[in-house]
Amino acid sequence: MTGTAMPRQQLREGLLLLPLLFVVVALLLVPLLTLLHSSFQGSQGLVVGQKGGGWTLANYTQFFLSAASRRALGNSLWISLGVSAFSTLLCLAPAWLLVRYEFRGKRWLRAFFTLPMAFSGIIIGFLTVIMLGRIGVVPRAIEALTGSDWFYGTAYGFGGILIAYLYFEIPRATMTLESAIQKLDPRWELAAASLGASPWQRFRFVTFPLVLPALLSTFAVTFSVSLGSFGVVLVISKRFSLTPIQIFEEVYALSNYEAAATMSVVLIVLGLIVNFLIRTLAARVLAHRA
Amino acid sequence: MHNRSLLATTVVFGVTVLLLCIVIAPVLTVIAGSFLNTSFLGISSEQWVGGKGGTGDLITFKWFGYVLELYRPQMIFGVQLALWNVAVCLLVGVPGGYALVRRAFPGCGVIEDLLLLPLSIPGLTISIGLLQAYGIIRGKWWLLLAGQVLYTLPFMVRSVTSTLRSYDHATLERAARSLGAGFWQTCWLVTLPSLRHALVVGSLLVFAISFGEFNVSFLLNTPLHQGFPAALYATYTTNSFQVSSAATTLFLLIIVPVLLVIQALGGRETSRIEQGA
Repeated sequence: MTGTAMPRQQLREGLLLLPLLFVVVALLLVPLLTLLHSSFQGSQGLVVGQKGGGWTLANYTQFFLSAASRRALGNSLWISLGVSAFSTLLCLAPAWLLVRYEFRGKRWLRAFFTLPMAFSGIIIGFLTVIMLGRIGVVPRAIEALTGSDWFYGTAYGFGGILIAYLYFEIPRATMTLESAIQKLDPRWELAAASLGASPWQRFRFVTFPLVLPALLSTFAVTFSVSLGSFGVVLVISKRFSLTPIQIFEEVYALSNYEAAATMSVVLIVLGLIVNFLIRTLAARVLAHRA
Repeated sequence: MHNRSLLATTVVFGVTVLLLCIVIAPVLTVIAGSFLNTSFLGISSEQWVGGKGGTGDLITFKWFGYVLELYRPQMIFGVQLALWNVAVCLLVGVPGGYALVRRAFPGCGVIEDLLLLPLSIPGLTISIGLLQAYGIIRGKWWLLLAGQVLYTLPFMVRSVTSTLRSYDHATLERAARSLGAGFWQTCWLVTLPSLRHALVVGSLLVFAISFGEFNVSFLLNTPLHQGFPAALYATYTTNSFQVSSAATTLFLLIIVPVLLVIQALGGRETSRIEQGA
C-alpha cells in the first residue's frame, strides 16, 4: 500500500458507512434524546403545539407516586423475568436436540420452531384466546373428556399470559441456545464419562457450567423482547396493566406525550439495567472459569 | 455416542414435542376455524357476513372474501412497506456492513453496538420518540418506514458482517486488486457475489419481520397507511373469531412460505460449510 492509497480507501469506506451512520443518528439517537428531553418538560396535555412549562421533574414524581404506574411497571418486570427464565430453561431441550441428535425431519423441526418469530403479540394473543379462552379449544376438549370446566378462560389469567409470552420466546431462545451449544466440544463430556461421571454429574459439573453464559445471554435477549411486548395483553386482558399499555393509553386516549415519554424512559432504563446486570454476571462466570 | 442416559433423551424429546405442540396446535386451529362451518358447535359468524351462502355447508370460504374486501388496502400496503424495507436495508446495510467489517474508523465498534441497540429497546418507546422528534402527530408513512427500518436493519447488517467475517475477504479482494481490478470491479465481481446468499436470506428475513411488525408500527400507522397487523388488530377487537381466523390465515399464507424458504436456504448453506466447501 502506498502512502496516498490508504486515506483514499479510508475515505471511500467512510462514505459507505455514511447512510448507516445517518440511520443510527436520525432514527435512534435523536428519538432517544427527544424522549429524554420531553420527559423533563411540563405537560402540555391535550393542547398540541402549546409550549409546556419548561424543565421539571414533575413527570417522574407523578409516575412514581402513582400506584397504578408502579403496579404496571412491577407487572412488566416480573412477567418478563419469569417468562425469560421459564422459556430459557425449556428451550434448552429443543436446542440440545437440534445440535446433538441426528434424525430425519430435523430441518422441518427447526422451521416449525422459527415460525413464531414473525408473529406479533396481537396474533399470539388471538391464538391464546382461541386455544384457552372462554370458548377455547383446549377447555372444550377437557370438558368433553373429563367433564371439568375448570380450564375455561385460562387465557385471561396469569397462566394464559405466561403461555402466550412463552410462544414468542420459543424461537428466540431456541436459536440463541442452539448456536451456543454448537460451540460446545462434546469431548468434554466424553472425557468426564471416561473418568466415571454419571449422566447427572456430567450435566451438573461439565455441561451446565459450560452453557451457563449462553443461558444468561439467552435470558437477556428474551427479557428485552418480553419487556417491550404489549400486543398479547392488548388483545387478551383489559384488567391487567403493563407499562407499555400505559404508554399507549397516555398517547392514544390522553395525548399526553410528556407522560408517555417519561414512562418510555423508565422502561428503557429498566431494560438496560437488567441487561447490564446479566452481562456482568456472564462476564464474571467466564472470568471465574479462566 | 453410547453414553447417553435414557432419562436425558426422554426429557429432551418430551419437552421438545410439548413445545412443538404449543407452537403448531393454535396455528392449525386457526386455519381450520377460518373455513370450517362451526355453527354446529354453537359458534357462528353469520351476522357479520350477512348470512350469504348455504348455512348447511361444512366448508366455506366466505370469510376470506369478507376480509379481502374489507382489508385489501392494508394487505397491499403491508407488502409495499415490506418491499421498501428490503430496499432501504439493502442500500444502507450492505455498504454499511462492509465498512463495519473493514473497521475503517475507530468508532466502528460503537456504531455496531448502537445498531443492535434497538433489539433491546421496546419498539413502542422508539415510536413515541420518532413522533416527538419529527413533530408529526400521526403523520406520514415514511415515519412508519423509518421506525421499521430501525428494527430490520440489524438483521441485514448482521447477515452481511457474519458472512464477511466467516472467510478472509480482505485477501481475496487484495488478490483481485493485484490482478488489476478497480475498487468497483472488485465489489461487483468478488465481494457482492460472495454475499449473494447473505443478501437473499437477509432480504427475506427483513420482509417477514416488516410484514408482521406491530410494536414500533402501532402508533406510527396512519389512517391511510397501515400495515396488515393493524388490520388484524381491527378484526380481533371488532369482529367475530371466524373473520379473525380468516384474516390470520391470510397473514400466515404470506409469512409462512417466506419463513420456510429462509430455513431451506439456511440449511443448504450450513451443510455446505459443514462439508468444508
